[in-house]
Amino acid sequence: MRRRFTVLMSVLMVVGLAVPSAFADIVIGHPATLSGSQAKAGEQAVGGVKAAIDWVNNTRGGVMVGGKKMMLDYKVYDCESKKESVTSLLERLVTTDKVNFLFAPYSSGLTLAGATVAEKYGVVYMDHGGASDNIFKQGFEYAVQTIGPGSKYHAGTLEMVKKIDPSAKKVALAYEDSEFARSVMDGAEIRAKELGFDVVFKRTYPAKVTDLTPLLSDLKASGAEIVIGGGHFQDGQLMNKQMADLDINPKLLSLIAAATLPAFGEALGELAEGVMGPSHWEYGVTFSAEGAKKLGKTWIGPSQDEYVALFKKAVEKDMLPDYHAAEASAAVLALVLAVEKADSLDNDAVRKALGDLTFMSFYGGWDVDDTGLQVGHSMVDVQWQGGKRMIIWPEAAQTGAPAYPKRKF
Amino acid sequence: MMKKIDKYYPIIPVLVAYAVLLGYGLVNPGKWQLVSQLAFYCTLGQAFNLFMGMTGYVDFGYVAFMGVGTYGMAVSIYHLYDKGLGLWIVVIGLVLGALFATLLSLAVGAVALRLRGAYFAIATIGVNEGFRYLVEGARIWNGSEGMIFTRHMKKAMGRETAMALSTFWADILMFGVAILAAALTLVYMRNKVGYALTALREDEDAAKVMGINVTKYKIIAFITSAAMAGLLGATAWALKLNYVYPADVFEIHYTVEAIIIVLLGGAGTLLGPIVGGLIYGISKYYLSIVLPGFQLLIFAPIIIGIIVLFPEGTVGVLKKRLMGTPLQKYVI
Repeated sequence: MRRRFTVLMSVLMVVGLAVPSAFADIVIGHPATLSGSQAKAGEQAVGGVKAAIDWVNNTRGGVMVGGKKMMLDYKVYDCESKKESVTSLLERLVTTDKVNFLFAPYSSGLTLAGATVAEKYGVVYMDHGGASDNIFKQGFEYAVQTIGPGSKYHAGTLEMVKKIDPSAKKVALAYEDSEFARSVMDGAEIRAKELGFDVVFKRTYPAKVTDLTPLLSDLKASGAEIVIGGGHFQDGQLMNKQMADLDINPKLLSLIAAATLPAFGEALGELAEGVMGPSHWEYGVTFSAEGAKKLGKTWIGPSQDEYVALFKKAVEKDMLPDYHAAEASAAVLALVLAVEKADSLDNDAVRKALGDLTFMSFYGGWDVDDTGLQVGHSMVDVQWQGGKRMIIWPEAAQTGAPAYPKRKF
Repeated sequence: MMKKIDKYYPIIPVLVAYAVLLGYGLVNPGKWQLVSQLAFYCTLGQAFNLFMGMTGYVDFGYVAFMGVGTYGMAVSIYHLYDKGLGLWIVVIGLVLGALFATLLSLAVGAVALRLRGAYFAIATIGVNEGFRYLVEGARIWNGSEGMIFTRHMKKAMGRETAMALSTFWADILMFGVAILAAALTLVYMRNKVGYALTALREDEDAAKVMGINVTKYKIIAFITSAAMAGLLGATAWALKLNYVYPADVFEIHYTVEAIIIVLLGGAGTLLGPIVGGLIYGISKYYLSIVLPGFQLLIFAPIIIGIIVLFPEGTVGVLKKRLMGTPLQKYVI
């Protein structure tokens, strides 16, 4: 009772103008990236957390702990996407605001920056936007991942090819020299070899590249049928355009971080036809309570359309949620189930429950291994068809059939 | 004899300021990370001021020295963790951090220090970006993948020690760097280096005509300032955060922060970087709590206001006020 009182008091004594909800028992603390280099993803993530909390409190009626319903509350600060601010704000959330659980800021680097502080205080640290597999090789005891690890991005893509075209053998990897793209492509290479593909070409190009012609000429000579590449929007678009110029026509072209964005189709028009990209989640996926039931999985959370409405309410503008929002929401839902499973707010008990947890939500599957690495969430593959983005893989989330082989430029 | 000691009185307020900051953190363990963040800004200002404050030269590539310093510590921990050296890897890391920064500053200094004022500033802009792409493109130190070494720290010295090192002792070492940078600034101010650089700042041609070897003194201050930045990177970034990505450490906004801190406090003053660092750090921290996401809208005008109202910085104004009072000898 006293503990609850102190939590309540600390929430009421918040500096600033935030009006705490009338009765909050469980507080999530988040040093979000509302400004700086990760501001876009940060805005989405905060909207995602708020939308999920809204659903838990107002639709689900709270969280059942020790035979009574508790409400969720959310304390968010802005770390400006800077590593120095992450540590001090996390500590404030734990010691001054006395939050129960922590959310990491967006991006692998900033997630790492805060991890030691979360460990020091022994507070569950939900990683919703740090995709690096490396985070989970460090022996952190409280970090838990919801975003899928980079190494798994193309598992589905390659399995799809294996299934619909067993004759395709030659894979090329051409990607930006960055930590993220590298971890994605290393994972793709491993998976390709496991499935019996030959990786005939693997090369990087520098960030902010302006001409890929030499690299693409070599790629063409390698005779690759499956081309996987990209890194950011700009280089992905450039690669697509220059492949068309050089008349390079693989059976499949998949570009990370570029092809899944609406702006990609707008910029390239006809040239985007048939181009694919892996995504953690897209508006239009068809994960549902019925689907979860068929797979024998626990379902939690709103349906996709309910979710979009909640998200728009949370961000107070007409903006569609993207995967940055969805994964932050899924992290909230995971925490809710883990608290109920542990039937306590004790961090060690909740961390253990998270390890034993597996469920499905509008975001797809959720399951972590012993290190906290996400292993239950599979990516969806998006493909441009007739100027629209279709979800073509996995079959459980399909909105359209894959157009394979890709139409020639 | 007394005269000699008199010269070093200004270190007293500096030591008092750091002692108060450190004491506050020790008494309020829940505010330790905030204290660490404030100390980071003060140290950044202190190290940057060593060169910029004395010469008036603005080095836009400054953060590159912090970057290579971070790598110095990272390389030591990443490659020596299983050699049974225990805590010696931290000492080796500090040495490497300072060494890498010194070497880079020699290379940069050799080219850029022949140039003056604005030309020097332009020449240094490329250093940071260029070095980042060199690290990434040539795959030096793991290239763009960077290094993550929490695991290595734990293996080398055990989980508890590694955690204490990251969350406490790294900050203590950073205070050490701050005090070292302040002490060196004062020593330089009070001997030939300082006089030569003051002459240079006021009128470089006149100084040259007077027979002062300006390039030599510029290089001395430049290398010292770079080595301090290297140590700051090794402690505040590598030892504290246990990871390094090139894109995260070769990040020009830290140079901009350093310039702002020095201007807020007063360029070329000894106490300035501390005052500037505290104003900058405290306002940033509380604004991000009260108005998350909108703090920059308020923060930017405040900074512009202070710099317009006090072109010599807050300590510059204080110095003028104290002229002719007994307190004069404590503030420079």
